[in-house]
Amino acid sequence: MAVRTQFENSTDIGVFSKLTNAYCLTALASSTNFYSVFESELSDVIPIVHTTIGGTRIVGRLTAGNRHGLLVPSTTTDQELQHLRNSLPPSVAIQRIEERLSALGNVIACNDYVALVHPDIDRETEEIIADTLKVEVFRQTVASNVLVGSYCALSNQGGLVHPKTSRSELDELSSLLQVPLVAGTVNRGSEVIGAGLVVNDWCAFTGLDTTATEISVIEATFRLQGQTSAAVINEMRDSLIDHYA
Amino acid sequence: MSSVAGLQRITPVPTSSDFIDIVLNATMRKTPTVIHKNFKISRIRNFYMRKVKFTQDAFDEKLGKIISEFPVLDNLHPFLSSLLNVLYDKNHYKLALGQINTARHLISQVSKDYNRLLKFGDSLYRCKQLKKAALGRMATIMRRQKDPLAYLEQVRQHISRLPAIDPNTRTLLICGYPNVGKSSFVNKITRADVDVQPYAFTTKSLFVGHMDYKYLRWQVIDTPGVLDHPLEEMNTIEMQSITALAHLRSAVLYFMDLSEQCGYTIEAQCKLFHSIKPLFTNKPTILVINKIDIVRLADLSDENRAFVQTILDDKSVTVVEASTYSEEGVMDVRNVSCDALLAHRVEQKLKGNRIEMVANKIHVAVPQKRDDVERTPFIPEAVKHRVKYDKEDPNRRKLQRDEEQEMELSGMGIYSADTKKDYILADDTWKYDKIPEFLNGKNVADFIDPDIAEKLEALEREEEALEAQGFYASDESEMLDSDEEEFQDAADQIRKKKASIKKISQEKNHLQNRPIIPRKKRHVTLSEFTTGMRKSGHDPLALEKRAARLMEGKKEAWEAAEARDAVAAQAAAEGDMDVDMDMDGEARPSKSKPIRTKSGMAVSASRAPRSNRQMAGLATTGQSDKANELRDFAQRLPNRLAKASESDRHIPITRPKWMLAGKRKGGKTERR
Repeated sequence: MAVRTQFENSTDIGVFSKLTNAYCLTALASSTNFYSVFESELSDVIPIVHTTIGGTRIVGRLTAGNRHGLLVPSTTTDQELQHLRNSLPPSVAIQRIEERLSALGNVIACNDYVALVHPDIDRETEEIIADTLKVEVFRQTVASNVLVGSYCALSNQGGLVHPKTSRSELDELSSLLQVPLVAGTVNRGSEVIGAGLVVNDWCAFTGLDTTATEISVIEATFRLQGQTSAAVINEMRDSLIDHYA
Repeated sequence: MSSVAGLQRITPVPTSSDFIDIVLNATMRKTPTVIHKNFKISRIRNFYMRKVKFTQDAFDEKLGKIISEFPVLDNLHPFLSSLLNVLYDKNHYKLALGQINTARHLISQVSKDYNRLLKFGDSLYRCKQLKKAALGRMATIMRRQKDPLAYLEQVRQHISRLPAIDPNTRTLLICGYPNVGKSSFVNKITRADVDVQPYAFTTKSLFVGHMDYKYLRWQVIDTPGVLDHPLEEMNTIEMQSITALAHLRSAVLYFMDLSEQCGYTIEAQCKLFHSIKPLFTNKPTILVINKIDIVRLADLSDENRAFVQTILDDKSVTVVEASTYSEEGVMDVRNVSCDALLAHRVEQKLKGNRIEMVANKIHVAVPQKRDDVERTPFIPEAVKHRVKYDKEDPNRRKLQRDEEQEMELSGMGIYSADTKKDYILADDTWKYDKIPEFLNGKNVADFIDPDIAEKLEALEREEEALEAQGFYASDESEMLDSDEEEFQDAADQIRKKKASIKKISQEKNHLQNRPIIPRKKRHVTLSEFTTGMRKSGHDPLALEKRAARLMEGKKEAWEAAEARDAVAAQAAAEGDMDVDMDMDGEARPSKSKPIRTKSGMAVSASRAPRSNRQMAGLATTGQSDKANELRDFAQRLPNRLAKASESDRHIPITRPKWMLAGKRKGGKTERR
């Protein structure tokens, strides 16, 4: 189930929200419209938390997390940390990281089992990621972009990566992540997947500009309708060729 | 006009009289208006030349804009180009633009000519007449462009109303005889609202509708009906259909009406198909049998069946039956034609090299197993039983947004989301507890961990254990081998040397910044001077003698002055008021020493020159007389011109302003 939404006229919703299998973070906004989109789909299943990180609204880009834990940057204030701790279930570990690359959402892409990280990340940070999120950590690039978190979106069932990722790189990444991967776009051709799409194992939210074709690819990739991604993409093959070529 | 692909928005074209008004108005508004016949003639000329030039520029700009904004037919997509040709007649269109261009040249020629004439204008009146003539001629030229301008305005209006046809996208093209149900079909499958009437040629131009199928956007073009006659005899309405058929890469849906309600026999309809068939090559062609609620293909007589069969003999044509009235088969027609077109387009694209670029986007990378870990998705049970949220459902769950709206509607103030409501705490009553941020000058957050003391203790214990094990003790006994020792020795030497170099350089430099008294000004005592000389091996005896002698003289002079002062003081005490003393009689008046008067003022000894400089270098008075004579002679010309010398270049005022400026009432220029 993929839902189109926007945050105060911005379609880069991945900047202002973070979605995992155990919780969802949304930025504090002037109205509750954005929050309620998540609320309508997720309430009673996982906690949805209104928060800021270090006083900013770009919570999606500053944090990284999965169902086991949440990593926040060193700019997070004590009060925000306390608020997050109170709001999230005890099974989710929260860790504040001293890391030079403080936009953790941009430098870490993870699902519940595997994480791709920026090649220049601290070794200590790498260990903390492995311990807190309970994942295997790989230093990788996506289509020669170091900001792996910005250029891909992952769930336990699939992943969407930068549209210029080559086939061989796709295969390599897929074997690392152990999920099927597809190269694609969101928001009518935007290649910053992480900014336009937040996804977990059963639902996805995309920017308002996302086209029908893109939505179909997203739903197929992340198996949101229950089919296997390969079957759907093959069915859509002709449409995709005609659309892109 | 962005709606038609390849056609820009065109600004409205004014009529010729409007055009003239606009430009002349602009000239009036944007050039200076005040001129006086008494102004300098060059100023008057410039004033009018500027007006003429400005008018020409304004015409040039406006005409240039028209020429550049109207599309060049040869640069457009062939479909648009020939559509415009059919609608507006290429020759007429080009001619009109050509005339406008000519007018532009003529106007610039006029301006050039009159500017040249204006250079010789000798009075305000004549300049004004020239300007008037220039503007008049420009206006006449523009007045002659009445017809082209009117035509271009019509074309512009028509272009802006053309449907937005993208010649390159997925297109279904619907054609056939008039009245066979083409427009009804378009109305059925798209949201276009094409007029449908029970008479021929209801549709007089191309219409476009859009629809979605297979994740893609499709363009459906409804064309006017075509009659079966040679191309030369076709009218503009029919030619639009033919243009679309000829130039668009699309799927062609040929509509037939077997009931013959449209007024054309099956035979005629089949004949038309064959005659326009050359336009269908390389396009997926679908024969749509419409109005099957009346007559189906199976119901036909053998004779008519044979006519239809001639079309079906061509294997590339697919036949589909539909009725736009009962809506039977309409979706089949759409699906069949879209699938055929998509397959055709994909086949074409696979041949090209662009397919390489999208290869990764249609590839699903399936992971190869690298270990035996099971990585299952984690979907909570609650998701499966969850009722899907429906905005229309009256029993839907209440969102924060609803609360916010309720609050807004009731006017109770500004809604502020309660972030603490959903806290997961051991005791719900704690949710709204106030926790201070600072207590006793310490950040509470630093002490939030209940086990912090134990943790610290554990760390310290670990540290002690490590220390006890000797983890931190450095191994002193480790011997350095000879190589390493040598190496360190060398390093030490280098370090020392570096330090000394640094010190020297610093000492050299650190004196440079303080103020230094120059040698000349420095006070040197005689003894210092002579010791220095002795040290360097010179004999200072003569110097010492001279110094002693000078000292003697100074001493005497000083004593004399003392004595004089004493005498003067005595005289003053005795009441002698004569203070002026003649000092000329003094034995040795020193050159440099000023003479001190009673009042303490210094007076220079004598201001009279010691020698006559005019006589310098001249031996006799005869020579000096000669020199004087020559000097006077040389001075004659400058004297006559009232100059001080030949270097005097001063030009006195020849025409005083007070005499020449202002109105002339009394008298003339020469005599006031």
